[in-house]
Amino acid sequence: MHKLKSLNNLDSLRKKLLAERKRARATIVICGGTGCQASKSPEVIAAIKKEITGQEMEKKVHVRATGCHGFCEQGPIMVIEPGNLFYCHVKAKDAKEIVAKTVKNGEVIERLLYTDPVSGKKVRTEAEIPFYRAQDRQLLNHNRSVDPCAIEDYIAIGGYAALAKTIAGIEPEAVISEIKASGLRGRGGAGFPTGRKWAECAEAPGDEKYVVCNADEGDPGAYMDRCLLEANPHLILEGMMIGAWAIGAFTGYIYVRNEYPLAVQHARIAVEQARKLGLLGENILGSSFSFDVEVARGGGAFVCGESTALMASLEGKVGEPRAKDIHTVKDGLWHKPTVLNNVETWANVPSIILNGAKWFAAKGTKNSKGTKIFALTGQVKNTGLVEVAMGTPLNKVIFDIGGGSKNGKAIKAVQTGGPSGGCLPVGKFALPVDFDTLNEAGAMMGSGGMVVMDEGTCMVDMAKYFLNFLQDESCGKCIPCRVGVDRMLEIITDIAEGRGSREQIALLEELADTVSATSLCALGKTAPNPVLSTLRYFPEEYAAHVDHKKCPAGVCKALISYSIQSDKCNGCGSCLRACPHDAIYGRKKKVHIIDEKKCLRCGICVGECKFAAITVS
Amino acid sequence: MQQYVTLKIDNARVKAVKGASVLDAAMASGLCIPHLCYVPVLKASGACRLCIVEVVDNGRTKITASCTLNAEDGMVIYSNTERIRKLRKNIAELLVAQAPNSRAVQDIAVRCGVKEVRYPFRNDNCIQCGRCVSYCTEYSKANSLGFVGRGKNRHVEYPLGFRRDLCKKCGFCTEYCPMSVTPCGGPMKAGEGRLCGNCDSQIAAMEHFSGICVRCELGKGFKCVRQTYV
Amino acid sequence: MTALNSILKGRRSQPHLLIEVLQDAQDLYGYIPEEAMNAVSRELGVPLMKVYRVACFYKAFSLKPRGKYVFTVCTGTACHVRGANLLLDQVKGQLNIEPGETTEDGLVTIENVNCVGACALGPVVIQDGAYCHHMTPGKLRKAIDKSRGKKKKERAHA
Repeated sequence: MHKLKSLNNLDSLRKKLLAERKRARATIVICGGTGCQASKSPEVIAAIKKEITGQEMEKKVHVRATGCHGFCEQGPIMVIEPGNLFYCHVKAKDAKEIVAKTVKNGEVIERLLYTDPVSGKKVRTEAEIPFYRAQDRQLLNHNRSVDPCAIEDYIAIGGYAALAKTIAGIEPEAVISEIKASGLRGRGGAGFPTGRKWAECAEAPGDEKYVVCNADEGDPGAYMDRCLLEANPHLILEGMMIGAWAIGAFTGYIYVRNEYPLAVQHARIAVEQARKLGLLGENILGSSFSFDVEVARGGGAFVCGESTALMASLEGKVGEPRAKDIHTVKDGLWHKPTVLNNVETWANVPSIILNGAKWFAAKGTKNSKGTKIFALTGQVKNTGLVEVAMGTPLNKVIFDIGGGSKNGKAIKAVQTGGPSGGCLPVGKFALPVDFDTLNEAGAMMGSGGMVVMDEGTCMVDMAKYFLNFLQDESCGKCIPCRVGVDRMLEIITDIAEGRGSREQIALLEELADTVSATSLCALGKTAPNPVLSTLRYFPEEYAAHVDHKKCPAGVCKALISYSIQSDKCNGCGSCLRACPHDAIYGRKKKVHIIDEKKCLRCGICVGECKFAAITVS
Repeated sequence: MQQYVTLKIDNARVKAVKGASVLDAAMASGLCIPHLCYVPVLKASGACRLCIVEVVDNGRTKITASCTLNAEDGMVIYSNTERIRKLRKNIAELLVAQAPNSRAVQDIAVRCGVKEVRYPFRNDNCIQCGRCVSYCTEYSKANSLGFVGRGKNRHVEYPLGFRRDLCKKCGFCTEYCPMSVTPCGGPMKAGEGRLCGNCDSQIAAMEHFSGICVRCELGKGFKCVRQTYV
Repeated sequence: MTALNSILKGRRSQPHLLIEVLQDAQDLYGYIPEEAMNAVSRELGVPLMKVYRVACFYKAFSLKPRGKYVFTVCTGTACHVRGANLLLDQVKGQLNIEPGETTEDGLVTIENVNCVGACALGPVVIQDGAYCHHMTPGKLRKAIDKSRGKKKKERAHA
C-alpha cells in the first residue's frame, strides 16, 4: 500500500476499499480475543480457513478473526454475514458442518445457536440476545467489523476520518473546547474532565510535550481496556493523534501491562501499519502535523496504573509514585508537560470530533456523559463486557444484561472499581451508575470492573482479599500505605480468624481514615475503600465474626469446619482422592470421615462430591 | 537576585526563598513541623508523611506533605490543626509500633502526642525513611544502597544483595540513620503498650508552645536540621 | 553472552530502555542471571543498584530459574469470587510449595498473578502461556500430575 500524502488520498482509499467490499461476499467473523482464545478459538479459525480453502471458496467467503465481542462466557463466538447469524461455543470439529450447511446453503445449525436462559428459546442473531439488546454499544460495536491487524478494515468503517477532519481545519483550541463541551471525563477511575486536562497541558510552557495512553489496566476484574486495544488499536491511535494535535505533542506512548501480550502485539502492528500509510510520522497526510507513537510493555506492577508511577516506569525506573503537588500536565514524562489518558478515554475522542460534543453529551447524566464499558463478572449468568449509557441503574446491568444470579444463590453485593472501589449492597442497586453517585455511595467507578457476589461470599473475607492485594502491590514508599495497610490487614485477619474485638473495628476505621488522608498517591488514598464500604453496608457480617465468632457465608477458614453426612456418602472416594492434604479417610463403599486435625478447610472436597454429602458449619 | 514569596503558616506571615518547600520555609522561621525522612541538602521524597499540613486552596482544604510542597505567594498553610495532629499522631504510632526500640522514633512519637500504642510491636530495625539511600545515591553518588522489592517486602539492600564493594565509605548512611541513635534505656516490649516515658518532659513543652521547635533529644544524635535554623 | 549482545544492540547508553532490555533478557534466559544484570548496567549506563531494583520490583522478572512447567494462577477479584483460592490450596497441598516457588526437582513453578483480564472465564490458570478457563482443583491436579509425568494419584483407598 502506498503512503497517503493528502486528505484526498485517504478518502479515495476508503472509497476503493468500500467498493471492493460491496461485492457482497459472505463473511465469517470469529472472535480471537483473549477470552475466546482461551476457549480455543484459534483452532476454530484454522479449521474454518482450512475448510474454505479445501472447498476452494476463498474468493466467495471472507474469514475475519476479530478482537473481543464482549460475550466471553459463550466463546468461541462466530457471526456469519450477511444475516448476522450468531453461533456460540463453536468447536473446531463444527467447521465442516458450518461451511457445508450455513455458508453454502444458508441452513441454520440449531445446536450452535444461543439459548435465551429466560424463555428457553433458541436465538438467531446478536440483536435478539438480551445481553446485547439492553446495551448501548458505541465503542464496542466496531469490534466485530475490524480485524485488529488490518488497518484497511478500520479505514473502511470510517476510521481516521476524525483525524482528517481535525487536520483539515480544526484549530487545537477548538478541539479542546469541543472535548470540554462534550463533558468527557477520564475513564481510568477518578473521572477528571478530559478537556480541562488537555487545556492545562496546552497552556503549560514548553515545546516538548507528550501524550500517553494508560493501558496498564491493573484493576482485577476489569478488562475493557485490553479488549479495546486488542480489538481496535487504530481507534486508540486516532484518539491519541487528535490529542497530540490539540496540545502540540510530537511523541506518544502506549504503556501496556505485561500481562496482556496480545494487546502489545496488536498495538505494535497497528503502529507499524499506520507508519507505512503515513498516518504516523512526519507530515501526516501532507500536513505540517508530525507525530509518532511507541508501544512500551510494563513490567507487571499494579501501582504503575498511577500516573507518576507509570511515567517513572516509561523512563525505565522503578514504578514508585512521586508527590503530585505540581500536576503531570505541567511536569510529567521526563519533566515535560504530559497528557495521560486511559484507553477508553482515548477511544471516545474520534467520535466526539466526528459527531460533535452535543451528540456525545446527549447520553449520560448531568455530570457524567456518554457511555461506559463495564466488565461484568463474578456470580452472574452472563459475564462479559457491557457498554451502557452513564446513569444506567445497577439493576439493569446486573439483572437485565447479566441475567441475575449464576447458581441460584441470592445476589448480595456488587464490587465496583477494583481495589480502590467498594462493595454496594443489593439495596443500592437502584442507583444510577455515574462518577458522582458511586463516589457518594462509598464505591468508585474505577476503570469499570463489576464483580457480582452472592451469599457464598463473605464480605470480611472480601475486604481481607483486597488488603492482601494492596499490601502486595503497594510500592512501599510511604508509611501510611506500606505500614498502615499492613496493619489493617493484621486487624482484619484477627477478625476473620475469630480473635477480633469491637475496639479493633474502631481502630480499623480510624486507621482507614489516616491512610486515606495521608498517603502519597491515589493507590494509598483509596486503599481503605473496600474496608470502609463493607463496614458501612455489612456491619452485621463484621458483628457475626467479632461477637459470635461465626462466618455467615461459611468462608473464613478459622471459623468453619467441614463434615461428611453419613446418610448421603456412598464411599465413592472422589473426595479422598481430591483432598490435597490427605485429610479424608474411609474404606471403599463405606462412609468417609474428615480428619479435623489435618483438614485445612480449603473446601476442595465440597466441589468434588457428586452427592452433596459434605457440608460446612 | 533572589526572589522571595510570602505565605501564611499557622496565621504567621512567613517569607521564603522562591522554590523552597513549605517545610523549609516553616523551619527557617522557627516553626518546627515534625518530620523524619526529610534532610535539607537532599531531594525530598515525601515518604514518612509526618510533615503533613493543610493547604487552603479556593476555600477547600487539602492535606499534603509540606516537604514536597513548593511555597508560593499567598499560600495559606495550617500545620497544627486538630485534624493534622490526630493524623500525625496515628502515623507516628504506626512508626513506633514498627521500631519501638529506636530512640529517634520514640522521640518523634512523643512529640506527635503518642502515649499508647494500639498495635502489637514488631521489632524492625528499619522504618525505611530512606535517609541512607538518598545520601548514598544523591550525595555520595555511590549507588551502593537502594530499596529493593515492594510493598511489605521492600527493604534496603546492596546491589545484587551482596555487592558491598561499591560503597565509598562516606559513613553518611549510618550517621543519618534514626536507628543509629543509641536506643533509650526503657525498651518497649511486645504487648507493653506504653512508651518508656524518658521523653515525657517534652510533651509539656509541645502542649504549651505548639509548632515551636522543642529541641528534642532527637536533635543531638540524629543530626536534626532544626538546630541550624533556630 | 552473544545472545545478550543482540538484545543490547541499538539500545546501548539509553537508560530508559532498561525495562524493555530486561524483558528480553527474561524471555531469553527464563530468568535474569547476575551476569546479565552486570552487563545491562554497564552497557545502558545505569547503576547496578537501579538494575537490581527494577529486576526485583516488577513481577515480570524472576531472579531464579523457573521450572520446566509454569502454572500461573490468576487471583484477580473475579477469579477469587469463583474460587481461585481453592486452586492455590490445591497447589500448596499437592506440591508442598508456595506461589512463586519451584519444586525441588525443578519441574514445576507455581506463580500467582493479580488478574490476566480474562475475568469472564474465571477461575483462570495459564499453563505455559496457554489460558485454561473455568479451572477446578480437580482439573488443575490432573494438569500438574501430567506435567510431572504421573498418571494417577498414588494414594487411593486403603
